[in-house]
Amino acid sequence: MKALLTKYWRIWLRTASMAMQAQLTYRLGSFGFLLGKMIRLFFFFAFMTAVFQHVETVAGYSLVETALFFMTFNLVDMTAQILFRAVYGARRTVNEGDFDFYLVQPCSPLFRMTCSTVDFLDIVTIIPVIVMTGMVFARLPPLAWQNYAAYALLMANGVALIYAIHVLVAALAVRTQELESAIWIYRDVMFMGKFPVDVYAPAVRWALTIGVPIAVMTTFPAKALLGRLSAAWIVYAFALTAVAIPASWLFWKSSVARYTSSSS
Amino acid sequence: MKTYWVAYQIALQETLQRRSTLIMDRLGGFAVVVSLYAFWTALIGDKATFLGYTRPEMLTYVLALNILRSFVFTGRGWQLVGEISSGKISSYLIRPLSYHGYALALDMAQKTVHVIASFFEVGFLAWLVQGELFLPRDPATWLIFGAAVLLSSLIFFFLEFAISTFAFWTSESGGPLFCFELFLQFAAGAFFPLDVLPLGLRRVLEATPFPYMVYFPVRIFLEKVSTAEAVRMLGMEALWLAVVFTAAMTIWARGVRSYAAEGG
Repeated sequence: MKALLTKYWRIWLRTASMAMQAQLTYRLGSFGFLLGKMIRLFFFFAFMTAVFQHVETVAGYSLVETALFFMTFNLVDMTAQILFRAVYGARRTVNEGDFDFYLVQPCSPLFRMTCSTVDFLDIVTIIPVIVMTGMVFARLPPLAWQNYAAYALLMANGVALIYAIHVLVAALAVRTQELESAIWIYRDVMFMGKFPVDVYAPAVRWALTIGVPIAVMTTFPAKALLGRLSAAWIVYAFALTAVAIPASWLFWKSSVARYTSSSS
Repeated sequence: MKTYWVAYQIALQETLQRRSTLIMDRLGGFAVVVSLYAFWTALIGDKATFLGYTRPEMLTYVLALNILRSFVFTGRGWQLVGEISSGKISSYLIRPLSYHGYALALDMAQKTVHVIASFFEVGFLAWLVQGELFLPRDPATWLIFGAAVLLSSLIFFFLEFAISTFAFWTSESGGPLFCFELFLQFAAGAFFPLDVLPLGLRRVLEATPFPYMVYFPVRIFLEKVSTAEAVRMLGMEALWLAVVFTAAMTIWARGVRSYAAEGG
């Protein structure tokens, strides 16, 4: 097991290093992307702060609490983007025939398809997010350590759920050689996680908790930290991930079994 | 003119042929509109108005956003960057047509499909929330709004074109384009009405062409400005279009002169 983990760690380091070299080669392009990500982060935060100049609460949450939801969304989303960036090129990998090489290499093709590219721009962007989250934490009232533990565990659970979605997207690319928009739909739907799920109508709230569990990924950790998430929902969050990951792997295996290599 | 009409028709067929991509694109955009609507509904709460917007005006603003995003924010910038970088642009440069006219025809085809789809979405959302919509009482408002939207679309097209044209000098113009598009969405009021911003910052943004793409046209539609003021805004938009068009054509002419077709 240790040997296997060491092997994948080395593969990840090598591919990450290659990704970093590529990004450093395109300095102007990388700077533009980095600046764009910063603009999105700071403008959204500024708008939210500006909104609270006119109201005291939104759906019962204060500025600090709403900021906590927003920063938690960013932490979970960016961590997933750093780790699973390779999925964004899944369709191209299949269409150009590179997936055939993944299949013959002594490495899990799923690992290559989901984790073999690291976005270093997101690593740079996550630093101010961590600082801003720290500032939000400093403005929260004193909370029990259990709340912080639940927050950390539910964030990890959220990243794991996002992994399951990325595996589904990669499997769709292998299965259909199409659906290039699937990952972008996920990105757009994730937009709904920027706000606490309580702002939505009950039907949408249920859809975001049960159907497309954006709320489980982004809202649940912050609610647990604030002590507003029941134990039943915490159990549901972990149970959902425990089902979603094996299900996504099964779908991946079935998709690879149908792969004909006809695109290459 | 017939050439561009044929290009428009072919592009229309192509867009309609890729139905799964189109539906997924629209689904993603719809999710963004639903979340903005939910957020603004939470902000307005039990109040009669928020930032000077009544509930029907707020709902109309969000729904108009969906239509304007579909009509204004669809350009050919990324395609241009790709065509210059790959050298494919050479095949267009030797054809007896204007590349701008050709790109505009393709863009219009995309807009046609997306705007029609957005009307269905708007109707669906309006029906779903059973909310009262604001419709202009003065027929002149419809005319001025239509003209404003058309000019907005052209401003965006040529502005994006000007930035994408830098691909003639660097293969890294994707970064600045990404940055521009993200900044534009905020500065145009495509996420939040600019009224939420502090007056000083709003004044700065109003001195740029960005608010003319979403914020001002929606204010015209909501009859938040007098007819005389709306006509003045239209004049300013025409002026911005002239500036942006001249800049785009100048950069293009210089870019073509420096083009060495190294990609092709």
